[in-house]
Amino acid sequence: MSTTLEPKKSQKELDPEARRQLEQAFAVPRTRFMLGGVLAVVFLLWSFQGVGFNFAKLGEGTVNMGAFLARLFPPDFSKLGLIVELLIETVQMAIVGTVLGSVLSLFIAFAAASTLSPKWIYYPARWTMNVIRAVPDLVFALMFVSAVGLGPFAGILAMTLGSLGSIGKIYAEAMESVDTGPMVAMRSVGASHRQVIQYGVLPQAAPLLVSYTLLLFEGNVRGATILGLVGAGGIGLELTTAMRMYDYGHLSAIIICIILVVTVIDQGSAFIRRRIT
Amino acid sequence: MTANTTVVPARGLAQAPATTAELRAMLPLVQVRDLKVEYNAADGLVLDGVDLDLFPGEMVALLGSSGSGKSTLMRTLTGFAPITSGTVRAAGYDVANLRRGELRSLRASAGQVFQQFNLIGRLSVLTNVLTGGLHDAGPYNLIGGFRSEQRKRALELLDRVGIAHKAKDEARSLSGGQQQRVAIARALMQQPKLILADEPVASLDPQLSDSVLELLRSIAREDGIPVLVSLHVLPLALRHSDRIVGLKHGRMLVSAPTEGIDPRSLDVLYDGEEAGDVYDA
Repeated sequence: MSTTLEPKKSQKELDPEARRQLEQAFAVPRTRFMLGGVLAVVFLLWSFQGVGFNFAKLGEGTVNMGAFLARLFPPDFSKLGLIVELLIETVQMAIVGTVLGSVLSLFIAFAAASTLSPKWIYYPARWTMNVIRAVPDLVFALMFVSAVGLGPFAGILAMTLGSLGSIGKIYAEAMESVDTGPMVAMRSVGASHRQVIQYGVLPQAAPLLVSYTLLLFEGNVRGATILGLVGAGGIGLELTTAMRMYDYGHLSAIIICIILVVTVIDQGSAFIRRRIT
Repeated sequence: MTANTTVVPARGLAQAPATTAELRAMLPLVQVRDLKVEYNAADGLVLDGVDLDLFPGEMVALLGSSGSGKSTLMRTLTGFAPITSGTVRAAGYDVANLRRGELRSLRASAGQVFQQFNLIGRLSVLTNVLTGGLHDAGPYNLIGGFRSEQRKRALELLDRVGIAHKAKDEARSLSGGQQQRVAIARALMQQPKLILADEPVASLDPQLSDSVLELLRSIAREDGIPVLVSLHVLPLALRHSDRIVGLKHGRMLVSAPTEGIDPRSLDVLYDGEEAGDVYDA
């Protein structure tokens, strides 16, 4: 059987000019792409200028930075017991905040997934998450500290609310990205809406959901450190106190312990992510 | 039925039925009359005056080129496509006038098999089959469970389609032919009154295509349910169907028993450039 590259008579042919362009080694970028590129550079330069970014100043300041870092050594581990206790509290805050935040995020994500919810639920859910995301966690922490007093409980509440805005959106997008075939199959067997989600969506989205939850947990451990600055529990308050008291040895010990805990958690969650995906 | 009404033997039977079972076998489980479907005015009618009867125990091949309306016809039978005019009765339901709960019940009684299988890849083969019984799963299912009699039935169905030994495997680890068998077992789990298979072998090689279609035909005969299967390859339709129905541009041009049909008479369903493709088995 002979083969031919000649087009069939009935076949529509490619416009010669389009063919010439497609055959070129380098395609000329589209006008909108070039305009977009120029605009992006202009915005970048404008931002650099606005924040006073200055390489020369950075160079001059290197000496001071070196002096600050030098003061951190040697670290003083004399209060190791206290540091460990506060770090455990920080991790506990992150665990509770992550679990509460991810469970609530899951519910808001069902509402904020365009493939699962009607428009009148979808838009309010998205707007709610946008508003929450626009407010810094520190503001939530201050709000809850004034509501329930100083301590980790306020931090957990701030973390939970903050998680809704960030992870809820990502959960919703993970659910939107699943293959629709199993959803169609579930509707075809007469499944309820809950069953379509339970069998057609969640098993497919599960690896992404678990992966994002682990990322949320890592972020919450770091976040719990910051929340302590406003008295919302965890090791943050001790960190701030050490800085204010110029107790650099103690500060250094705290930072080293935080780095150790964050590294262990990052490695652990990376291992779990590898196993589930 | 009034006293004057006479039972007209359907499907060419020479005599009137003797038993209730025979009478029931002659009544169509699907009855479509003058069906017109239009998704939007700009595209015009996708189905234009289609009449179709599906009887218990028969395997009907639905032929036609891409865009002829095969999938739309199947979708109208389970309420997934709009009915612009005409009547569609399937499994005892008037499809055009169903409330949400009735629509779910109709879908639960119509097993569907898809070209891409549409299994939940990360779940086990057994769970995939069990999902066919979701409509009747009861309160256990709120926490993901199924009744033990449902599990027993699902395993029996896996025995029937020949892959019970894969029951604990993830569905995505199976070959295409095996996945389609799981999809058929899922459809059977619904205890369906009819089965609709939309291009079920389009992703399979010829040998697997024959075995899957033979399985569907045996189900039609043994379970006494109609199976409507859309196909793109003519020899498969000729080998595995009792009746051939053909659509072109939304109109039904062919409806005849497969036995004795002249394959060349089906050329009318295809445009010149596609006619050669449909003979490749």
